Amino acid sequence: MTNPSPLPSVKQFILDHFLEGEDPSRLTATTPLMTGGIIDSLGLLEVVSFLEKEFHLEFEAHEVAPANFDTLAGIETLVKRKQSQRGSAS
Amino acid sequence: MEFDWTADQIAFREAVIGFAHKSLRDDVIARDAAGEFNRELWRRCAEFGIQGLPFPEAYGGGGNDPFTAVLALEALGSVCRDNGLLFALAAQMWSVQMPIHRFGSEDQKRRYLTRLCSGEWIGAHGMSEPEAGSDAFSLQTRAERRGDEYVLNGTKTFVSDASVADVFVVFATIDRSLGPLGITGFIVERDSPGLQVSGAIHKMGMRTSPMAELALEDCRVPVANRLGREGRGAQVFNDSMEWERGCILASAVGAMERQLADSITYARQRQQFGAPISQFQAVQHRLVDMKVRLEAARLLLYRAAWSKQHDRDPGPAAAIAKLAISEAWVQSGLHAVQVRGGYGYAVEYEAERDFRDAVGSLLYSGTSDMQRNLIARSLGL
Repeated sequence: MTNPSPLPSVKQFILDHFLEGEDPSRLTATTPLMTGGIIDSLGLLEVVSFLEKEFHLEFEAHEVAPANFDTLAGIETLVKRKQSQRGSAS
Repeated sequence: MEFDWTADQIAFREAVIGFAHKSLRDDVIARDAAGEFNRELWRRCAEFGIQGLPFPEAYGGGGNDPFTAVLALEALGSVCRDNGLLFALAAQMWSVQMPIHRFGSEDQKRRYLTRLCSGEWIGAHGMSEPEAGSDAFSLQTRAERRGDEYVLNGTKTFVSDASVADVFVVFATIDRSLGPLGITGFIVERDSPGLQVSGAIHKMGMRTSPMAELALEDCRVPVANRLGREGRGAQVFNDSMEWERGCILASAVGAMERQLADSITYARQRQQFGAPISQFQAVQHRLVDMKVRLEAARLLLYRAAWSKQHDRDPGPAAAIAKLAISEAWVQSGLHAVQVRGGYGYAVEYEAERDFRDAVGSLLYSGTSDMQRNLIARSLGL
């Protein structure tokens, strides 16, 4: 069974918590979140916490890096990889 | 939102008020001057069930919801004049017991939460450092994993009740380069090798809740005492801070009610220019302002507590409550002094101590400036 794309819920979380009042269409899969100043280090904690709770995952410290979290696309790739690893392990 | 109290909550509130009248009256003036914590009052509170209010019965708690706990703490504040004691109770509840309850292992809950609820132990929270106050996540205390223990090195400051505490929730970093994601929480017992309570800090107010520093020099903490996952300490801290912001000033709302009632009594008795001063508009307006602030503070407190109880995303409700109640308490304290004129300035009449105690609320659990920053962030600014 394939997992649904995490993109919609992650996008909504970021819109609700960091871009309130902004035009949702301006947040794309490649909008720079961290390097673009939308999410700072504390905001990153909130995103990680949301993802862990929403998708029942646990991220290692080295995974929480701009390479994975700077865009919605990067977050989606990471979440799908973790879900796939969990599926293989079970 | 529904803020009506149930019959049980009303009865419980009355019981708390009765307990405070009977068991929490002593010479606060003398203990404030001496900076003295009263362990016997702490024990009585535990026996009544205060420390265990919102925690499960399995760990010696009362199993009450957060809203009921907040109502009880407010009730205590409306009678008990020892603001330092009430602060110590709330600080332990929200910044020590709550993180252990929410993030601790079953073993940690049984070893520590039980003793904290029973009053056998006193807990304190060590986060701030000499170079990391509002910028808490820039802390420098290091935690190095060595086999089945962590070795902690650093200094914690502004630790409330450090000199009387038996156990501490302490935050350290396993890797500064990871920023907030390197921070890890630990439960550190007082007799841990390498932990020393030092440097008593004499304060403007809340003197019956003594404050000191913690020196951690190769302080060894078993891995079993790590609180939550490695690198998730910032999450533990943020979670406990949200409880603190929303709920720690419950007793302050009670204190404001007490200040208003006492000020009205004083104003009715005090005669100047051939009349009770309660008949003078200037005094009336001051008392009215105290009333308006009290009612607004109460509603903000209840809203924050209600959000936590219903596990709703509180948004900025906790920060708004902390900011508004602390500033209202300070203003209320100042007005209580002014209603009494010169007598308000005298130690004997206790209004000045209430005012001094209130000033601390602008600073702990995140300063008013930090609360404003949080609220600004919620506005997308």
